[in-house]
Amino acid sequence: MGRSAKAATPLVSFWPMNPSSDLILHAIPDAVRERAAALGFHDADVLFAVRSDLDADGSSVDVWTIVERAQLASIVATGARAGTVVGPFKVAEITKARAFQKVGSGFLQVQVDGVYVDLARYANSRRELFGRVAQHIQRMKDGHPPPEEVLARPSEMQCQECGLPLPGLRAQCPRCVGGRGIFARTLGLMRPYLSSILLLLFVMVVGVCLDLLPPLLQRMMVDRVLNPIKGAPVLSHAESIRLLLMILLGLVGASGSRCLLNVFIGRSTSTIGTRITKELRERLQTKLVSMAVEYYNRHSVGSLMSRVLYDVDYFQGFVTQVAQGFLLNLMLVLGIGGMLFYMNWKLALLVLLPIPFVVVGTTFFWRHIYPRYYKVWDSQSKTAQLLSGLLSGIRLVKAFGQEQREQQRFSGSAAYLQESRRSLEASVATFNPLMGFVFGLGGLIIWYAGGRQVLESHISLGTLMAFFGYMGMFYGPISALSMFTNWVTGFLSAGQRVFEVLDATAVVTEVAKPVAMPTMKGRIEFKNVTFGYDPYTPVLKDVSFTIEPGQFVGVVGKSGSGKTTLVNLLCRFYDPQEGQILVDGVDVREMRQDDLHRHVALVLQEPFLFRASIAENIAYGRPDASPQAVMNAARAANAHDFIARRPSAYDTKLGEHGAGLSGGERQRISIARALLCDPGVLILDEATSSVDTESEQEIQKALVALCKGRTTIAIAHRLSTLKNSDHIHVMEDGRIIESGTHEQLLAQQGVYYKLVKIQTELTRLET
Amino acid sequence: MTATATHNYDDTRLVGIGVRLLLPDATTIFEGTFSLLHVAVKGDTLYRGVFAVTMFPIRHPDRFVSLRYTDDRDREQEIGIIEDLGVFPTEAQRLVRNALVKHYYEQTVSRIYKVDNRFGLLFFEVETQLGRREFVMPWRGDRAEDYGATGKVLLDAFDNRYIIPDLTRLPASDRNALTAYIYW
Repeated sequence: MGRSAKAATPLVSFWPMNPSSDLILHAIPDAVRERAAALGFHDADVLFAVRSDLDADGSSVDVWTIVERAQLASIVATGARAGTVVGPFKVAEITKARAFQKVGSGFLQVQVDGVYVDLARYANSRRELFGRVAQHIQRMKDGHPPPEEVLARPSEMQCQECGLPLPGLRAQCPRCVGGRGIFARTLGLMRPYLSSILLLLFVMVVGVCLDLLPPLLQRMMVDRVLNPIKGAPVLSHAESIRLLLMILLGLVGASGSRCLLNVFIGRSTSTIGTRITKELRERLQTKLVSMAVEYYNRHSVGSLMSRVLYDVDYFQGFVTQVAQGFLLNLMLVLGIGGMLFYMNWKLALLVLLPIPFVVVGTTFFWRHIYPRYYKVWDSQSKTAQLLSGLLSGIRLVKAFGQEQREQQRFSGSAAYLQESRRSLEASVATFNPLMGFVFGLGGLIIWYAGGRQVLESHISLGTLMAFFGYMGMFYGPISALSMFTNWVTGFLSAGQRVFEVLDATAVVTEVAKPVAMPTMKGRIEFKNVTFGYDPYTPVLKDVSFTIEPGQFVGVVGKSGSGKTTLVNLLCRFYDPQEGQILVDGVDVREMRQDDLHRHVALVLQEPFLFRASIAENIAYGRPDASPQAVMNAARAANAHDFIARRPSAYDTKLGEHGAGLSGGERQRISIARALLCDPGVLILDEATSSVDTESEQEIQKALVALCKGRTTIAIAHRLSTLKNSDHIHVMEDGRIIESGTHEQLLAQQGVYYKLVKIQTELTRLET
Repeated sequence: MTATATHNYDDTRLVGIGVRLLLPDATTIFEGTFSLLHVAVKGDTLYRGVFAVTMFPIRHPDRFVSLRYTDDRDREQEIGIIEDLGVFPTEAQRLVRNALVKHYYEQTVSRIYKVDNRFGLLFFEVETQLGRREFVMPWRGDRAEDYGATGKVLLDAFDNRYIIPDLTRLPASDRNALTAYIYW
């Protein structure tokens, strides 16, 4: 299909209106009024009608689902199957309702006679709306329908002002926030240095004036001393030598002053530039640390590191460019241009001849070379990620004998890096000489036209020499200005990546006036909590339970049953879509995050240790802890003795991720770390599952000390470790399906009983 | 030379503990109540409300179709795999293909008329099998995934899927417009 088809084909926007016109409350839509009436629907009884955009076969049509308190049905409103009905179904006959996600679309389904029936199909654009509709029908069915406002509230995926799709759920609308340009924002960063910058600008103006002086002095030297023009005062030999020396002294003075100014400008820009980059790096780091865990699911660590480490350097370059590059060159162009026109406007016009070519060249550069900077950055970032993954997983690579395949993968990545760099540098290498050639042509034109004017005595030789002096200085800055785009493109791409991080919205935010929790007893309550990492696919479904202070509660279940998600919500790495999590009666969303994190300690399956000393790792949560407190915690965690055996004991520097320690030793250090913080709530997420039996016994001993008197939630596959729990919850598919003590659950002979039986059998086989 | 290239693997050892293959002589596929797909397997039971998913949608879009259902605890379960749909009766083939059509909703992009970058979002104007469309996608690495060796899947702000099966078959101008932004 050619581009001519553009006007002929109607353009369809693939995002819904916001606020939604797909939802009508208390009325039958006109498009299906007659058909709905024939099925027994009445305006007075209708709770709501919702429009979907797909027929069951995926064709684009309008389908209205009409919901009354007693019945519901879907009616196709447009297309070849207009008037086709699914239903009506009596609400009393429906057992469940759900929004069932497929690939690229979903179905609103109701369960009738034990089987799910497709009521309506919708494209993903309407996923949010139909997710609410399904929940509404389910709640209605269960006898407690939520308020209509919940159903009709505006989309969280679109801007409520302009309807633009948001970059992320509940993110700020980039259009309405009125994001300033990258340049303007960078200038904003310089505001604290305004006085220094103004001084710099003044010095630069003085510098430009000094730059304009030498050609004028040279003209005087030629026209008054070396080749005096007609009408000039006749000087004796001694007077000529004196004037020559004075002119030379003037040249030395101008050059020396310029040198001093350059030193001042260079040092000042370096001071301002390095300060700005330091502040920017600190802001980025602060922002990254404050970001919700969800953000890291979407961005690779390699690309974020690249932004903090390398992209920020462009901001120092920005200061240098403004002071010594762009602004200086602009002033020179204006100053020299003025002098050229003052000396001879006809020749000056000829000097401007190459300028259109510069403009065309710059435009070309922007359009065709600009995107290649992104490509280079991407290839660098990908190569770094690949290498980091390869080196971190080197044992696995060797164990599976995949060295050659990894070599090939890296080779592919290196080739991508090479090609993207080559492509960029080849373009730049072609662009630069072409521009140089164009400027060279300009010089030749002036030789011809200026030479003729000298021969015809319209201008003096000194004026022509001065003209050439200025022209040499004129093309330099023009050339630098055209090359400025080269730098600007790199800066813009780096700036965009840096500001993207600074502008990102942390999904988990603190309320304006959070509740301070100086102490925590450790009463935990989950109230009807529903949550999904993808908001439309719940991982936890209406989960409710209470843990009293000091209780030890075990959570068991298969992988993917939602155990770790409970922990993620309690630590407030994410917020639930529905329900509440209360600690000591306070909703964790209302609580000061610092307090929550100080009182809730985590011991994970894979303990994370930093590249620091053992003591620093233990005192990570309490850097002010005394050496004795650190040793006490280590002793309680059964870590003291193996630490003491090391030559540098607690001052032993650990490698990356605790390299140099066994898995059990790493875990005991992480337990000591948790112990030192004296948390009110302790979470053990498979704390012993990746260590050998001997280490496990050591860790179990450590855990006994750790859990004493604290509310403890222990997630474990090895059920034997939970036998003495005050309570055990069994999870399956996001729900708690069994609860009780070990003995009670065994007596129930349900899922827990089966799990215990399987594990006992496995243990018997192993021995 | 890697171990992968020299070792002879005995895949038959996985038969019986791996997936269940559904064969025509033991599997009856038909449309039942509420026009739902029903599957009866000899020696097993009757499954209602069955849906179909391809296990290799890019490499083998017409083979290895998994027939699945939702059990009484709302868990998705697999009945078995149809390795080659072509060996089933015509009506069963039609029903399974219809079920596949219901499972996937993707637009295949044949032309890219315009890509604009504004506010960190990419505004696309494209031609798909449904006609001319415009959509907006956040300009992020996770919104454009590889699709086979030379294709891409673009996910718009609402996770609608736009497939470009083969970038090399796009007109050069379209490809340049795309790769100016989707360069990874």
